[in-house]
Amino acid sequence: MKYSYMPGCSLLSTARGYDTSARAVVRELNSELIELEDWNCCGANALESVSYLLSVAMPARNLALAEATNRDLVTSCSSCFLNLFKVNHRLKREPELRKKLDAILGAAGLKYQGKARVRHLLDVIANDIGVEAVAKRVDRKLSGLKVVPYYGCQTVRPYGEYDGPYLPNSMDKLIEAVGAETHPYLWKTVCCGGVLMTTEKSIGRKLVADLLGAAKGADCIVTVCPMCQMNLDAYQGEAAAELGMKVRIPVLFLTQLMGLAFNLPEKDLLLGQNIASVRGLLRQLQPV
Amino acid sequence: MTQGQKVYELTRDMLDHNFTAQVAPDREKLQTCIQCGTCTASCPVAYAMDYTPRQLWRLIQLGLKEEVLGSNSFWLCTACYACTLRCLRGIACTETMSALKRMSVAEGMEKLSSSARFYEAFRDTVRRHGRLHEVELMTTYFGRAKKLGALGYSRLGFTLWRKGKVSLDAGANIKRLDQIEAIYRKVEELEAKV
Repeated sequence: MKYSYMPGCSLLSTARGYDTSARAVVRELNSELIELEDWNCCGANALESVSYLLSVAMPARNLALAEATNRDLVTSCSSCFLNLFKVNHRLKREPELRKKLDAILGAAGLKYQGKARVRHLLDVIANDIGVEAVAKRVDRKLSGLKVVPYYGCQTVRPYGEYDGPYLPNSMDKLIEAVGAETHPYLWKTVCCGGVLMTTEKSIGRKLVADLLGAAKGADCIVTVCPMCQMNLDAYQGEAAAELGMKVRIPVLFLTQLMGLAFNLPEKDLLLGQNIASVRGLLRQLQPV
Repeated sequence: MTQGQKVYELTRDMLDHNFTAQVAPDREKLQTCIQCGTCTASCPVAYAMDYTPRQLWRLIQLGLKEEVLGSNSFWLCTACYACTLRCLRGIACTETMSALKRMSVAEGMEKLSSSARFYEAFRDTVRRHGRLHEVELMTTYFGRAKKLGALGYSRLGFTLWRKGKVSLDAGANIKRLDQIEAIYRKVEELEAKV
């Protein structure tokens, strides 16, 4: 199947390995992510904090572009996913919003009818492609690897469109499909702190420390959100100071982990860009 | 008294029912809050708030505008939607937190200006390029927020650069930047009317 694909801003810089591994993994599973031409920033959580209309109109521009492609719009970033999805939800809930959006997009020469279907990459892999197809593609079972499935917040909340919003398990199933074990983790949907790590560090640091502390005993953490990955990967030193214990755990994107099981090359996985070293993890893997 | 508790002698002048009505997006639902506290119990940052989410809804119901808009509570909200998911009245808690951020800046009452400056720097960077440029965002933010800690981030920035995660040049703009500018201008025009 073919999808329109919006990687999102983080995947062009700090989460490049997510972008390359997502494209490669989906390709290996006989589907295709076709980048949406000239997509723009969805606004993350920032635009809604400064302007309601901007927070609707910016993702809506992408929806207007996607609508013209007649394909589902897939995004691999949880924040992009929620912002895009929310536009459709709001247009149904707030009739007066439609008129305003028409005026705003009209000023840019665009029109959105409300028909674009928004999907999270996790949804596409788990539900369209499916666990069986993933298991079949595995070249190297990741046996013995204890993996924390960390969903974060906006991956499944608040709408729970494709997975349980309280206790999601789509990622758990994919981790098992590639032969690894899921590490029991009650914190799988607790927030990583998002931007607090920058704006109110002492509070952000505590959230990150709690999540990393609870992952003790696992071999790696896996996520499908660039913000979660960044917070858990880049601040392990600070979390260690908060917890009073050593913290060194690789934090991979789900598609990087899948890529290891598919035996994809480093140019697709970019594991070398992860901050907490993955060398120990790679040594644990069985030869192909 | 424990954190967040305060004794009020309420007078008519203090109650701004107009404020209660302004708090978007669903004031009718907000009025139905029964103070069960599920929102506060779900909130990972409630412990650091001047008023917990549950207390905040009550203050809004009462129309205590200054107490609400001058608090740090909604600035700490990360939009994790745990409260929204669990609220048994179906109140759009998270969206209300965002609305409070906007109102607080509009009234010049923001207590945590660092967050406000961050969001504004984000908005302006996206207007210039159509996409977010993380390096530009961080330098703009630290410049405007006049916040200590920039050094710590430049160290992180160095690590990210060494790993090949960020580059120092600004990166490409989207092609139809004119459409982004048209959207921003139209939004400004519509919002000025309100």
